[in-house]
Amino acid sequence: MNRGYIRVARIASLAVALTAGGAGAQGSPLSEARDSIRTGKYKDAIAMLAKIGPADTEWVDAQRELARTYATVGRYDDAEAVARRATSAKGGAFLWNTLGEVLLLRGKRAPAESAFVRAVAEHVPDSLTAALNLAVVHYDRGDRARAMKEFDRFIDVYNAGGDLTSDDLVAIATAVEYLGVNDPQLFKDALKAFDKALMADGENIEARVKLGELFLDKYQFGEAQKTFEEVLSLNPSHPRALLGAARRLEADGKPGVDSLVRMALSVNPDYVDAHIFRAEQFIDLEEYAAAQQSIDRALRVNPNASRGIAVAAAIKFLAHDNAGYEALRQRALALDPADAEFYATMAEMAGHVRLYSAAVDFAKQGVAADPKSWHAHGLLGMNLLRRGQIDGGKKSLDVSFAGDPYNVWIKNTLDLLDTYKNYDELTSEHFRFMIEKSESAVLSIYLKELAEQAYSTFATKYAYTPPPPVRIEVYRSHADFSVRTVGLAGLGALGVSFGTTLAFDSPAAKDAGPFNWGSTVWHELAHTFTLGMTDHRVPRWLSEGLSVYEEHKAKPGWGFNVTPDFIIAFKTGKLVPVSRMNDGFMHPAFPQQVGLSYYQASLVCDYIARDWGEPALLKMLLAYKEGQTTEQVFQKVLNTDIKAFDKKFDDYVRARFASAIASLPAEPPEIDRRMPAQELLRRAAAAPGDFGVQLMVGAALAAQGNLDAAIAPLEKARSLFPEYGGGDSPSARLADIYAKKGEDRKAADMLAKWVTLTETNYKGLLELATLLEKLGDLRGAAEAVDRAMYVNPFDIALHQHLADLYKAVGSPKQVVRERMAVVALAPVDKADALYQLALAHHEAGDAARARTAVLRALEEAPNFERAQTLLLTLYEARNRSGERTP
Amino acid sequence: MNIGRGERRAGFLAGAAFLRGAAFLMLLSAAVPNRAVLQAQTHVLIVSGLGGDAKYKKSFASLADSLAGAIGTRYGIPAAQVTWLAEDSVSKAPRFRGQSTKANIERWVQQTATRAGAGDQVVIVLIGHGSGDGEDSKLSLPGPDLSARDFAQLLARFPTQKTAFVNLSSASGDMVPVLSAPNRVVITATKSAFERNESHFAEYFVRALTADGSDTDKDGRISLLEAFKFASAETKRLYETDERMQTEHAQLDDDGDRTGHPDPDGKLGEGAFARRFFLDAGVSASRAGVNDPRLGALYTEKFAIEEQIEQLKARKAAMPPNAYDDELEKLLVQLALKARSIREIEGRKS
Repeated sequence: MNRGYIRVARIASLAVALTAGGAGAQGSPLSEARDSIRTGKYKDAIAMLAKIGPADTEWVDAQRELARTYATVGRYDDAEAVARRATSAKGGAFLWNTLGEVLLLRGKRAPAESAFVRAVAEHVPDSLTAALNLAVVHYDRGDRARAMKEFDRFIDVYNAGGDLTSDDLVAIATAVEYLGVNDPQLFKDALKAFDKALMADGENIEARVKLGELFLDKYQFGEAQKTFEEVLSLNPSHPRALLGAARRLEADGKPGVDSLVRMALSVNPDYVDAHIFRAEQFIDLEEYAAAQQSIDRALRVNPNASRGIAVAAAIKFLAHDNAGYEALRQRALALDPADAEFYATMAEMAGHVRLYSAAVDFAKQGVAADPKSWHAHGLLGMNLLRRGQIDGGKKSLDVSFAGDPYNVWIKNTLDLLDTYKNYDELTSEHFRFMIEKSESAVLSIYLKELAEQAYSTFATKYAYTPPPPVRIEVYRSHADFSVRTVGLAGLGALGVSFGTTLAFDSPAAKDAGPFNWGSTVWHELAHTFTLGMTDHRVPRWLSEGLSVYEEHKAKPGWGFNVTPDFIIAFKTGKLVPVSRMNDGFMHPAFPQQVGLSYYQASLVCDYIARDWGEPALLKMLLAYKEGQTTEQVFQKVLNTDIKAFDKKFDDYVRARFASAIASLPAEPPEIDRRMPAQELLRRAAAAPGDFGVQLMVGAALAAQGNLDAAIAPLEKARSLFPEYGGGDSPSARLADIYAKKGEDRKAADMLAKWVTLTETNYKGLLELATLLEKLGDLRGAAEAVDRAMYVNPFDIALHQHLADLYKAVGSPKQVVRERMAVVALAPVDKADALYQLALAHHEAGDAARARTAVLRALEEAPNFERAQTLLLTLYEARNRSGERTP
Repeated sequence: MNIGRGERRAGFLAGAAFLRGAAFLMLLSAAVPNRAVLQAQTHVLIVSGLGGDAKYKKSFASLADSLAGAIGTRYGIPAAQVTWLAEDSVSKAPRFRGQSTKANIERWVQQTATRAGAGDQVVIVLIGHGSGDGEDSKLSLPGPDLSARDFAQLLARFPTQKTAFVNLSSASGDMVPVLSAPNRVVITATKSAFERNESHFAEYFVRALTADGSDTDKDGRISLLEAFKFASAETKRLYETDERMQTEHAQLDDDGDRTGHPDPDGKLGEGAFARRFFLDAGVSASRAGVNDPRLGALYTEKFAIEEQIEQLKARKAAMPPNAYDDELEKLLVQLALKARSIREIEGRKS
């Protein structure tokens, strides 16, 4: 299928002034009230409208506006009463449709339907809108065939031309939108109709909001944002526009969602869709009690809100309340027996909390309920992919995309799947690897070894083995990894674990920046075990915390480490307490908070392991598997109230980093590098406990060439915050000074300390290796270079050197690995690389592999003398042992 | 055991020779060095053009100087057959022969055309900045430049010699179709005249000929194809390492089809002639010691085994991997033994 380029083209400029046009005599009370409504001054509008008496010629129109305004601010009873009273007054038939709409907001479907029928029968000015509402009621109760026929008539109305009002055009646009399920091209026609509605009446906010919602539904986030901003620039209190803007931000993972929702609810405290949205957000945070409160509020207002019922069912399901789930499922199906969206919502919610198998099951039920639910097909496809079922996933995504070609997540994912032909699939005992062909040879050498090592470590520790094979996908492009993970480019993470399917950036993914791919693999594999052993019930924060905790245990420097940002955030109370740790990952309050939360979560694990023992962490996982809440888990396993734990953890961090906390200033000290040495030393002496002063004075002195004088303040700085491993850390500066002074041993010691504080210190590791080699510590040098390979494994010369180092220290297996890496990197001198590999195999006692490698070398260069000599050696040895001969 | 191995080896060789029949004899006539080859000489002209600024001036001179030096020391080509013309009119470098003006280049061609015998090799290496396009592609020289058309006319003076035209300058790509001819290797640093950015190919090409690491077939000699492939690969690696978009793509043409190829395999078509083009052709042949009748026979057999290996490799895809390796090992062992015997007679150590 040609997926082409997705773009919903707008046919007309929306640059119609919002203040233009409008009904009502200029300066009349109704006109003034409408102005107030347009600008969000709802209270003023209500007061003005209430003053218009029944004798007034504008009374009926005023009642309509009043009922709608009451509904906008959540005074639904008042809205219903006003509309109902007006319908029985002279000329009040005009309000039947409004009454129906108000009733519908409370879930009163049957009386709403009657009201719409009446409005249509009365041929009132908004009877076309009433006809639309009627069709929507039919659609929502599962009478799809009838509803679609009714929607189809709107095309005839449009094509017949005639004098259509802006509201009529909105009704037509909405009907065409529904018809889009059968023909996705019709969404473009819906767009045209919305544009025409806005051309007819630039002040038709309903048209503009609905247009924004269409853009949102069709993943045109930029256009959606623009449209909602147009509304909010005139009426900053429009609840639907506020919620639309919030949904747009959330879709892009941008901050500011909460404040927009709060604003919407401050205008309408009973805004059903906003409460449902909040419930979904709480589900993402795995705060099911809070989610329940929000959904209860929504369903109290509108007990028949289908999305609300689905979200309520999801909460029950996630809280292991199967009876509650089933009751809500029955309630949803009673309203609409073909409610695929119920299952799709369940699949969405399950997927959000990493229950991908459940998501697949729900999505399948959605597809069964309505084979035209492209949403359900899409969710099925995406979740199958997360489970590693690539063919099945692609099939579902193809179906979804054919029905709804506007879904950018699905389009991007299908485009990515098309590139899988460029990947190799390799296996090891427990894994299946998918690596781009150009780098599969070199990466697989390390990856297989590392992954199996992690598997063995975690299987023993967690007493759990994931169902084989665990699938690991390695993406050379960060954008591809991002699409694989979230469907869109721009994800900040480097790796993801969907359980038994992992994906991560290749170290060649330049757009990802420098990172340690080894620790990333270790981290994501830890998730595989913690997710698996809890049936995916482990909360996000604990799974992340354990993954970083395991990184720390795997190799020196791996994983997030303490930074000045962390210490300052802790000091200034910016970190979330343990009881709300998911907030730090899901709803960060400031840009760096996610990164800090990883480290913070690992500290929680450190603390628990220290005071309750490491087995307590496993017991916690098992308790989560049983379905216990975080409060229950802490109480049961740690015998502590979660709030009390918050305090204890705070004390733990305060004690663990006491020196750093005391010595890190909130603001950088004012030290000018050009200050005279005497002044610098005076400043250092005046602030012996200030890390920043000591570090900057030391750096300034070193820059001035006062190497000896710089040592004391830098040593002081190191003693104040020994964990700091940044590029300007005291250890780094001291190493540099000692190297310049020719004190190689001290320089090496400092470098050795520095490189254990960060995981991406490639340069530091290579410098350390050079120094250690110079000092005769070849094993130490080899270890340092080996660690550097987890940052950049693509340097042929480095592999050759590492092979030489390993050979010198008598580690033949490692020599083989490095020689394999050289061959895998396709050096120009392939024959020599193969010969060196053959030699390594030979020296490691593997004659068979040595023979194969030397044959490959000589295949490249038949006259390669050294390879010929090795071949003869191998051949003659084999003959001596009685094996076959040529 | 030793006797047994020897008997098997002798028997195998006899069988192989018998089986190869007429085709084998044809191969021998082509492969065994004869007196004409022994006397073949290589004549080299290295031209370093205008640098423009000091950085390039120094770089071009340095590359040319080191190449000229290696041609003498590494390839044993007599100093009289190596000429380096440079931007400066004065230099103390041993093989410096004057300024790289159009007139000096033309003079060298005229003299060499008179001096070179049939079967000799004539190699012209250009280092510098390129300009123009198509037939008007030029190398920037002190005074009037020389265009692709001019070089084509100059090289036409060598109808019976093997020629190599190696243009390591930027924007050199359009020279391929103009200079392409039978019995000639044409190498350019870029694929067209539009690749005008600073070229790094020259550095790696010179390194290939002056340092270890490019003798990928391990025959102890560096062919123009090996140098080309080494330089191409290292240039690519440089751009990848620096995370830059590659702005130069070297080309090679050696079958006269007027089309440059970025990655010739050198087996049958493109690259096959360059694979056999060595700067030290005459020198190496004299080292082979073909005057010793024992060596002549050994070389004959060695070449025959090499040919069998090539034929086996061509059948690789159609064979089970183990069977292929077994066959390959048989031939490689024979070749290794033959090479060992040759080394023993030549008094070389492995």
